[in-house]
Amino acid sequence: MSRIDPAELEIFKNLFHAVAEEMGAALRRSAFSPNIKERRDYSCAVFDGRGRVVAMGDHMPVHLGSMPMSVAAAVGALGLGPGDIAMLNDPYAGGTHLPDITLVMPVFSGGARPLFYVANRAHHADVGGARPASMGLSEEIYQEGFRIPPVLVARDGKIERDVMALLLANVRTPVEREGDLQAQIAACRLGARRLLEIEARYGGRRVALYLDALQAYAERLMRAALARIPNGRYSAEDFMDDDGFSPEPVRLRVTIEIRGERALVDFAGTAPACRGSINAVLAITASAVFYVFRCLLGEDVPACAGLMAPIELRAPLGTVVNAQAAAAVAAGNVETSQRIVDVLLRALAHALPDRIPAASSGTMNNLSFGSIDPRTGQPFAYYETIAGGMGARPVADGLDAVHTHMTNSLNTPIEALETAYPVRVRRYAVRRGSGGRGRFRGGDGVIREIEFLSRVQGSILSDRRARGPYGLAGGQPGSPGRNLMLLPTDTGRLRSSRIASKASFETEAGAVLRIESPGGGGWGQIRGQGAGGQG
Amino acid sequence: MPKRPATGQPSIRVGVDTGGTFTDCVTIEGGEVRITKVFSTPDDPARGIVDGVLRLIGDTQAERRTATEDGNTKPRTPNPELHIMHGTTVGTNALLERKGARVALVTTKGFEDLIELGRQNRPGLYDLNVERQPPLVPPRLRFGVAERTGADARVLQKPSLAELKALRARLRKSGAESLALCFLFSYANPSNERAVARALAELNLPLSVSHEILPEFREYERLSTVVVNAYLAPHLGAYIARLTAAFKSNPPIGDERRAVCLSIMQSNGGITTADRAAREPVRTILSGPAAGVVASAHLAASLGLDRVISFDMGGTSTDVSLIDGALRTTRETTLAGLPVAVPVLDVDSVGAGGGSLARFDAGGALRVGPESSGAMPGPICYGRGGTRPTVTDAQLVLGRLDADHFLGGSFRLDYDAARAAFDRFLRDEARRFSRRLLTKSAIDLARGIVAVANATMERALRVISVARGHDPRDFSLVCYGGAGGLHAADLARSLDLKQVIVPPNPGAFSALGVLRSDVVRDVSQSVLMPVPASAADGRRFQRDIETRFARLERVARVELRNQGFRGAAEIARSLDMRYRGQSYELNVPFTAEFRLSFQKEHERAYGHAQPERALEIVSLRVRLTIKTPEAAQGNARQSDARTRRFRPSSPAPLASRLAGFETGLVPTRFYDREQLRPGSSFSGPAVVFEYSSTTVVPPDYMCRVDGVGNLILWGRS
Repeated sequence: MSRIDPAELEIFKNLFHAVAEEMGAALRRSAFSPNIKERRDYSCAVFDGRGRVVAMGDHMPVHLGSMPMSVAAAVGALGLGPGDIAMLNDPYAGGTHLPDITLVMPVFSGGARPLFYVANRAHHADVGGARPASMGLSEEIYQEGFRIPPVLVARDGKIERDVMALLLANVRTPVEREGDLQAQIAACRLGARRLLEIEARYGGRRVALYLDALQAYAERLMRAALARIPNGRYSAEDFMDDDGFSPEPVRLRVTIEIRGERALVDFAGTAPACRGSINAVLAITASAVFYVFRCLLGEDVPACAGLMAPIELRAPLGTVVNAQAAAAVAAGNVETSQRIVDVLLRALAHALPDRIPAASSGTMNNLSFGSIDPRTGQPFAYYETIAGGMGARPVADGLDAVHTHMTNSLNTPIEALETAYPVRVRRYAVRRGSGGRGRFRGGDGVIREIEFLSRVQGSILSDRRARGPYGLAGGQPGSPGRNLMLLPTDTGRLRSSRIASKASFETEAGAVLRIESPGGGGWGQIRGQGAGGQG
Repeated sequence: MPKRPATGQPSIRVGVDTGGTFTDCVTIEGGEVRITKVFSTPDDPARGIVDGVLRLIGDTQAERRTATEDGNTKPRTPNPELHIMHGTTVGTNALLERKGARVALVTTKGFEDLIELGRQNRPGLYDLNVERQPPLVPPRLRFGVAERTGADARVLQKPSLAELKALRARLRKSGAESLALCFLFSYANPSNERAVARALAELNLPLSVSHEILPEFREYERLSTVVVNAYLAPHLGAYIARLTAAFKSNPPIGDERRAVCLSIMQSNGGITTADRAAREPVRTILSGPAAGVVASAHLAASLGLDRVISFDMGGTSTDVSLIDGALRTTRETTLAGLPVAVPVLDVDSVGAGGGSLARFDAGGALRVGPESSGAMPGPICYGRGGTRPTVTDAQLVLGRLDADHFLGGSFRLDYDAARAAFDRFLRDEARRFSRRLLTKSAIDLARGIVAVANATMERALRVISVARGHDPRDFSLVCYGGAGGLHAADLARSLDLKQVIVPPNPGAFSALGVLRSDVVRDVSQSVLMPVPASAADGRRFQRDIETRFARLERVARVELRNQGFRGAAEIARSLDMRYRGQSYELNVPFTAEFRLSFQKEHERAYGHAQPERALEIVSLRVRLTIKTPEAAQGNARQSDARTRRFRPSSPAPLASRLAGFETGLVPTRFYDREQLRPGSSFSGPAVVFEYSSTTVVPPDYMCRVDGVGNLILWGRS
């Protein structure tokens, strides 16, 4: 401990973070599917030789706590050697949901054991299964796409053609998949090269010393943050609207116990796993917990495993926050993850009423569709998420029309979307007035209208359609979202019909899908009377 | 109609760079660089400029009258034209301070909020109190027009005359001072934008039209660019008018009416007429940093180096840029949270400067910046109320700054105050960490602060070099600006750079860059064309591309001619290419081998190439360049000097004092740069001080003065 220099600690922290960021930039710039290259739905991370995360690029928070489980699963299953790269997407073996394909590569420097691992995860636009873009209504994981346990996609520096061929034969858009995987492989190798440069420059012993020091540093930061929260037990519950099959709301319950510099997070009382795909595997729940506690730190801290050391997580087996095979999971990663954040923040609001914001939109509004593009005769599959309102803060209004909490993916430019796929965007606007009122106003949601220019199969996985995101300290909830299908009629006008929060649909050319995303909850009571509290 | 700015009759050409503290004016007369430095006048920068130019020209004129034949200059005409080339931060500051015009936005109906939606992401991932900059146009000044063009360039709906009439009326009532016009897919087919632009002309407001400013895809970035342009247009227009008027009322040369011609430095490293800059101010937002990068490129060329990294460390931030034979540009700049997609020199900026503040975070790591003590109060040692340790204070505590010769001795640095503050800071922090803090002494703290600041700058240098596949060992660091010389050798060592070059007058280096900038006009066109695989299609394709390039060049040439630029233009054609299905393009020169160039560049940039994949061309780019006379003139002079022989000499130091380096406190020689002669060389540890800058030569470094007065530092190992 005495040999750790505060200046060098800062330097190593930045070096490792820069490697993760650089991997991300290379991946984005050479990838093929809009979801990776335009929307940046990926994460890159650096791990030490024991598989502890050392640095992660500022990419997708939902991947934060779950990537280490991919590394553990790959190492456990395969015993990786120099030049090997493992690939996996199985939520029950280190993954989260099937479209997220993760690559893990060990970094050796002469020794018998790896000095580092690098990993990256990207959300692929299609991995087969019942529906184009692999994000439809489903009841078991076999309907959701091609399931990949940890396998070698590269062995001793060479791509495993057989493995690649097996995967590509099971997806709708193999050319795009192959290009994206090539970009992922190149990003791994780039990261490995950079880490070896760092090792060559500073020496293995010094690097090893600071790898440990970074974990201890992160742990100190978290302990200091926990110590500032009053001791006690704080409970809350919140609900998912439904699982897409039954109209019953699905309960999430958490109790956070703060004791000095430690926290216990227990999801006892949460509903059992469901028939639909809102089930989250433990990796996702861990990510949400990681995210929420990281937000409590004032500092720009490294995403080190050490941050989680003072936090114990209990999620009862077989619940919607710790699903077991072969439950369907497509929406667990993207919808339930947001609700886990909501319920954690609601519990913490009891302890830290002047720091915790009201609920944000609480859904990623996952829209996916595909079919054959009439312009080219080729199959296509497309996936996007739509932003919503941010919950009001105890000091400020929530932001309008922005991705919150577990996602930060960009939109696809309309000019890129319409060039690539047979659709036309008719409207993209802020949904004025949808944020909850209060002393501080919740952010407004979004309205997005997409006209299909060909027959498509599509799906929407969304939530907060029945109940709006909660307000805090007397603030009003945000407006719930709405999904509408506008169909052309004989008179030339469009006829509107509601569709469910989670639905798969087939529709003809000329149909317009309109998504209205929820506004954020308000914070604090409106002063005086009436509607004057807006703005 | 502007006067002839370039060529034709002999003219006096002056480069002007306005900074926060000083305005530098530079001219080259018969190969001799002349500099005048005056205080800037931030409330109206024009005053400082006129003052500086008048003094510089006054001196030059006096000398011309008394000079006899000197052989280096051509016979002079009695009334030389005055050409002022100006790097300005007026646009940048208006944007950063949000002091631009009230802009009305006219856009496709249904997409009025796009300016607010942006890319739907938030700037901080783990910050519950994250804020976004509000958009430059509020909702009530956004106007939708029922019109649409498709991805295939077909017009699906034309704007109706009735709607345009109503729109004019609404715009008139809106109080807008400037208009931005941006429709979806206007890069593919601008006819709807053109029609509406015509209809709005009678409003007599500055009008920024998206297909004219940036005919490229990605609607939000194009929209943002055109709105920034509209936001700055009235401001920059007024500034240029004021500057022109100021020169008219203070004729700089005698009392005769003289043609004063004003050009502005653009962010792409080239100059343009003041008129054009006023119409397209978005192209000048990085005018200031661009000048230094251009100067670095010229210096490199004059020394026979292709590869240099420019390094400009100021008070709050450090700008770095990589020059690999040519200046590199990017189209992914964000300024004040707003994307600006016109080509700008690829300058990376990090929040580390002389004024960056140090602190320990909750985990006990030492952090430096991005918070800065700014111009006021500044570092502790300036004695203007600063109490928190900065990088400059750390350098002083280490003994690497000469307290008595800062800014020519006009200003004494307070060592005792800085030292006392460091001790106090450590005491307070030790209490906060219940004495577990590992940094014990003020010297340790100072060394730590310098190391962390260096690490931040090193990261920026890595991002532009190693991270883009360049080997730093091939590069020299060109160091200018006030604080850079204190850190340059340490950075060169960390990155294994070849050498450090500190030009003479590093403070006026940027003004020299402005003077030596070429006239540059970038034009581009998004085309989205597949590259055919078959040879027959290939030939047709080649002809098609040639025709399109020729058309682009014709337009650009006519423009340059209309602006009065007469010289022969060099033309560089390039292609933005990618594999079909990708979203990011790589720029390669348009030659017969462009396919191969792309594969190589892809391999270099991303570590893989996939030659079997289909290629597509996204945009055609043409750069027209008219060379500036100073570029050649100055360089010839420098390279003469470089080859001249000097007797090696070991200069006498002014003083020897203890200064802190890695090895501890060591006796260090202090030199006054004024007194160093070409050919001098000495080894570290040494410090070279001059008016506006200080250069540190660490113990393991050597320094020599080359034939034109550059300091060259290199590692001894």
